[in-house]
Amino acid sequence: MSIVANLPRRTLTLTEEEAPSPPAMQLTGRRRMTSEERAAASTIFEEFRADPRHHDFVLGCLNCGECTTGCPAARFYDFSPREMLQIAENGDATTLWDAMQEKIWACCQCYTCNMRCRFGNDIAGIISVMRELSVSHGLESTRKTLAPFGRSLTLLMTVGTQVSSDMIQPDFFRDWGPFATGSDKVWGVSAEVMRKAIPLDVLQTTRSAWEVSVQTSLELFRIYEETGVLDMLRGLDPDLTEMLVDIIEERREEFGEARERFRAELEGMKGPVATFTG
Amino acid sequence: MLSANEIRKVVAERTEHQRGTGKKVHDVREELDRLEEKGELIVHRISARNRPVDAQTLFGWTKRIPTDRLWHHKSCGQCGNIPGYPSSLLWLMNETGRTYLNEPHQTSCTAWNYHGTATSNPVALAAVAARNFHRAYETDHFPLIHCGTSFGDYKEMRKLLVENPDVRHKVREVLRKMGRDLVVPEEIVHYSEWVHAMTPEILPRQRHDLAGIVATVHEPCHYYKMVPEDAVYDDRVYAGQRPAVPTGILLSLGAQVADYSTWYDCCGFGFRHILSEREFSRSFANLRKIRPMVEEAHSDVAITSDTGCVTTLDKSQWIGKAHGQPYLLPVLSDVQFAALALGAHPYKIAQVHWHSSSTEALLTKMGVDWKTAKADFQEYLRALKNGAAPELLHPAHGEIEKFFAVNKGQVLPDEAGTSALTAPVAHVSSGGSAK
Repeated sequence: MSIVANLPRRTLTLTEEEAPSPPAMQLTGRRRMTSEERAAASTIFEEFRADPRHHDFVLGCLNCGECTTGCPAARFYDFSPREMLQIAENGDATTLWDAMQEKIWACCQCYTCNMRCRFGNDIAGIISVMRELSVSHGLESTRKTLAPFGRSLTLLMTVGTQVSSDMIQPDFFRDWGPFATGSDKVWGVSAEVMRKAIPLDVLQTTRSAWEVSVQTSLELFRIYEETGVLDMLRGLDPDLTEMLVDIIEERREEFGEARERFRAELEGMKGPVATFTG
Repeated sequence: MLSANEIRKVVAERTEHQRGTGKKVHDVREELDRLEEKGELIVHRISARNRPVDAQTLFGWTKRIPTDRLWHHKSCGQCGNIPGYPSSLLWLMNETGRTYLNEPHQTSCTAWNYHGTATSNPVALAAVAARNFHRAYETDHFPLIHCGTSFGDYKEMRKLLVENPDVRHKVREVLRKMGRDLVVPEEIVHYSEWVHAMTPEILPRQRHDLAGIVATVHEPCHYYKMVPEDAVYDDRVYAGQRPAVPTGILLSLGAQVADYSTWYDCCGFGFRHILSEREFSRSFANLRKIRPMVEEAHSDVAITSDTGCVTTLDKSQWIGKAHGQPYLLPVLSDVQFAALALGAHPYKIAQVHWHSSSTEALLTKMGVDWKTAKADFQEYLRALKNGAAPELLHPAHGEIEKFFAVNKGQVLPDEAGTSALTAPVAHVSSGGSAK
């Protein structure tokens, strides 16, 4: 008897968890919105149109299609910079909301559309404004889109660089091949030794793109605190944000201890190194 | 595709529209001078000590390219993935006797993150730019930007700071809390412009004949599509119809530069895509860039001048084998290629082993004895593994600099001197030990 025959028959009645969700898209092409979403969409739309960059970036549209013709993302995604521009110019809260769920994240930010636009629109720029709003309003779709960025955001917020060599791990960058990820197998030494073979001391780290001094990282974090970036991130990922705050608090303590340790050398200095306390 | 003449027309129309609103300025550099007179900001001037060389821009404006006393603004992706890019640049500076600072007191521009995730805003981006600008200013070294995106972003931030009093005020307030002033450099300078300006000094040092090399150029989008007005163009390169960098140095070194139909396309980096949606990046890179470079232009090497572009074009190819696209075209930055032409060690300096697409066939064609160099490098790795000290292009930084952005004027003596606190960070000799 086949082993398949011994398996229990699957019931045709689906549990609540198993039941498929209703289709996200209606036949009209427009997603059905909840009342909360409609309210959020309305607020976002008002903020979008009030942003001073809207006036600067959206100048009009000849409908010529030059932007979309040259757009790399348009070749591979259901995305058109012309559509984004026309939503920015003439759209309403619902069309803007729909575009912000997914389409805006297809843009490569290469600025080819800007270069080709006879009207001089800053299409890449207006898409960035839409993206900023989707982050600051903590849209669920944005959380999902940016979920893989926890590690790079941590690096960026704490030392101000985007990637490190120890992020290039074979399980995540398998498609880059053995030379990008396999120093032990290829060269017979560890990743740390490979970094030591770079003739610039500040690059001999695996944990950041380059060594960043504690003062510099604290100054950067101060910028994020003062300009609302930290609050923006808190709306998107509160756990990550609290972790970042903890890291920086430890670094501030480290900075204070170092100030004691190097007190003699630092005495009499002027400028930021003397005044900055973390 | 738009030619330079068409781009000029588009940009001129845009500028005209903006001037019509009464808010925008025409030549941002003139406005910088006016704001400095009013005490709104400090302009970091290019001085005679920077030994500037004039270059022409898209609109014919003269751009002064500083060639000495430079503050290296490294690129965050470059140093993580392709460290041979900055090491080749600093090696070229050693060879040509230029001084510089390569510090741990720099952040990235953070624009990779902004264009990828939008978790920032214009005031924060401008403040990050201004913090780095001020750090360069207080060391009396002029910033040299390694990355196309940083170059484009900093031009956007300069424009924003000049045109928007509210942003200027907010940034100034943030900087004051860390003891810094609002400083904007007289010019935003990309490292490939330094290579372009230094061509007369680079050529006499060339050791390898490149006449048999066919190169294709990928022009980094953020070099010339963001704030295109002051990208460097030169009538001797594509008759001034395409940017002069990095093509100019390749032609000067005697390589053949072949055209291909999709030269204008981006590389597929996408900022977000290269990290979380590489299906797009590798498809675009292979189908729209690498394939035309190989099949149309019969290229031996792809040359570009931006971090993200080198990464995307190089790293995306290995997986192409799975789709019947086994091109494995070597991808190098212009400074790696130039350094190799001048005899730089392919592994210790150009660090070609970080690249996914093998460069060894190219090195053979260039006349570089890579087999001996590779054996030498393997011996060096064994020595490092056993605790040998690394060979460096400039003196190592001291312990205090792990914590404090010590100021050259406050702590460190002139380049020729020594410090009781830490080793000098300025490099002055004309050659490091890592040759």
